[in-house]
Amino acid sequence: MQLFLEQMLNGIAIGAIYAMITLGLALVYGILRILHVAHAAVYTVGAYIGLAIFSATHSILLSAAGAMVFCAGLGFLIERFVYFPLLKYPPYVPLIGSIACLLAIEELCRLAAGPYILSFPAQLPFPSFTVGGIVISSTLTAVYCISAGVLALLWFITTRTELGLAMRATSQDMAIASSMGINSHRIISLTFMIGSAVAAIAGILVGIYYNQVYPSMGAVPAYKTLALIVVGGLGSVPGAVLASILLGVGETLLIGYAGIPLPRDALAFIAMIAVLLWRPQGLLGGRG
Amino acid sequence: MRGFRVFAAVLVILCLSIGVASAAETIKIGMLAPLTGFAAADGASALNSVKIAVDQVNGQGGVLGKKIQLIVYDDRADAKEAVALAYKLIEQDKIAAFVAGSYSLPTRAVAPIFQEEKIPLVAAYAIHPDVTKAGEYCFRNGFLGTVEGKAAAYTAHKLLNAKTVALLTSDNDFGRTLVEGFKMYQAKYGKDMKIVYEQAYPFSEKDFKPYLSKIKEANPDVIFASGYYFQTGPLLKQARELGIKSKILGEEGADSPKLAEIAGEAAEGFYIVTNFDRDDPRPVVQNFLKEYRKRYKIEPDMVGASAYDAFMIIVDAMRKTKTYSNPTAIRMAISKTTNFDGLTGIIKGFTHIGEVVKPVQVQVVKNGLFRRFGVVDDPELIRP
Repeated sequence: MQLFLEQMLNGIAIGAIYAMITLGLALVYGILRILHVAHAAVYTVGAYIGLAIFSATHSILLSAAGAMVFCAGLGFLIERFVYFPLLKYPPYVPLIGSIACLLAIEELCRLAAGPYILSFPAQLPFPSFTVGGIVISSTLTAVYCISAGVLALLWFITTRTELGLAMRATSQDMAIASSMGINSHRIISLTFMIGSAVAAIAGILVGIYYNQVYPSMGAVPAYKTLALIVVGGLGSVPGAVLASILLGVGETLLIGYAGIPLPRDALAFIAMIAVLLWRPQGLLGGRG
Repeated sequence: MRGFRVFAAVLVILCLSIGVASAAETIKIGMLAPLTGFAAADGASALNSVKIAVDQVNGQGGVLGKKIQLIVYDDRADAKEAVALAYKLIEQDKIAAFVAGSYSLPTRAVAPIFQEEKIPLVAAYAIHPDVTKAGEYCFRNGFLGTVEGKAAAYTAHKLLNAKTVALLTSDNDFGRTLVEGFKMYQAKYGKDMKIVYEQAYPFSEKDFKPYLSKIKEANPDVIFASGYYFQTGPLLKQARELGIKSKILGEEGADSPKLAEIAGEAAEGFYIVTNFDRDDPRPVVQNFLKEYRKRYKIEPDMVGASAYDAFMIIVDAMRKTKTYSNPTAIRMAISKTTNFDGLTGIIKGFTHIGEVVKPVQVQVVKNGLFRRFGVVDDPELIRP
């Protein structure tokens, strides 16, 4: 029982991290119907900028704030200069642009910071617990608290504010939203900025959790998050979060109990294929 | 102004001496190493160390009165790249011997080429058995997986007094053969040491908690966790976070200053079986350490030390045979190496396949640095 609980706790933490990366992708797909693969590059940049600021100031708050601002800017630029000019073409054209962006940014990180794995020696100011022999380390506590905070904030923004209303309206029908007086391009930019800022937090969190920051850290998330938004239901933010957490738990339990050296990344795609076969609209997708 | 004149004079003399050196005939030794790409850290370590070796040899007046010229190309740990560069080293640069300072994949690909051209090859740290099987011109200064696996089992059994062990291995060639070696020892000498858990993890794994949670339940005396520093580093950190108290033993893949950087506090008391002893008092080791730290401001690792020795073994053979142009004589001399005073230990010699025979080093992390813990030199165990 104790083993099972420990595995669950780990699985939920992994899932929460996936959720933070996948969120931005789901938001962007919901509003533009673009597969924003370059989101993983924004996440990598977030980790690097966070590490650079942390090394200079030794303040994790400054580092997170700086990385969020920088990544929001980067997301804005990608939307303005890569996707916006390509929106008039079929969807695969922005997708190709997005892949190009991912590769270019990854290589820029390699040129700027070197091919080495850098360590992120920050201590997150969270307590650790021991409950009945189960250790909940301070990094686990940090992952839970931070991801819960981010998810709650996003839920609040999208459902309880005028900005959220405008975002939902734009994602349902851009033309009608515009005719109702919503500046839909501004809403799109804001969506990118919010998603990218969350990706920056995810990058820093992963960097600290595994104590590793390296140029290709976005490679696996780049395709895994695609599988996750399909499983969750394209464009559905709650679906993406649910799919991420289920996958995190599923991976951990499978590795913990099955005892086969199956690359954990395969599971996301098995889940994707299963969902496409039996529930093509995804777990929480309504529009199909 | 006077300072400037002295400086200018020194500069002129330096230029002249370089001009003279390159005008005289040099002995060319070729090397491939991954200087860019995912393995760049290891490539840099190998090249840094061989550069020190070249300067030391040339400082003593070179070999047979001639300076050594090292010709290095970047193979990016890629087999296709390495094959093209091997031909370049042979046809264009006309090298006398070759230091394989790269991974198994490229080294396996070039070994048959050097064998065909009859150019002696000494592999620094590539671990695949095929490298030396290419022929009698191919030698290896690193350990085979089975040798290191046996040494790891001996370390767990005799030096750490384990009654129970867990094996958690990286799922690749090296990881698999390490486990094979570990079990060979256990079957023969270690009946009183029980393997309570055994699992391979995929190479790209970053989150070891699912495995570690199970190991925690089994509560072994020692965990033998094979893998590179970027795998073992997070593994150590996560194991200690979960409250695992077992001793953890790794292998040469974890022998990098990056390990302690990634694992932090959790690296303390971590053991490895490896190919380099930092606390070896012999001058060859201590001079190298001093020079390396001075030049590069970082700690040297096992990859660099192995590349240094691969180069020095070739130089030693040239000196003994008094030839640098007769590859057959150089090959013979390398195969007859005995009790060579190497940076990675006293090299007892090479087997007929070209595998090195020398003690395996056991190191432990103290204050973030690898220090001596013990040596495995039982001939039964270290002879491949």
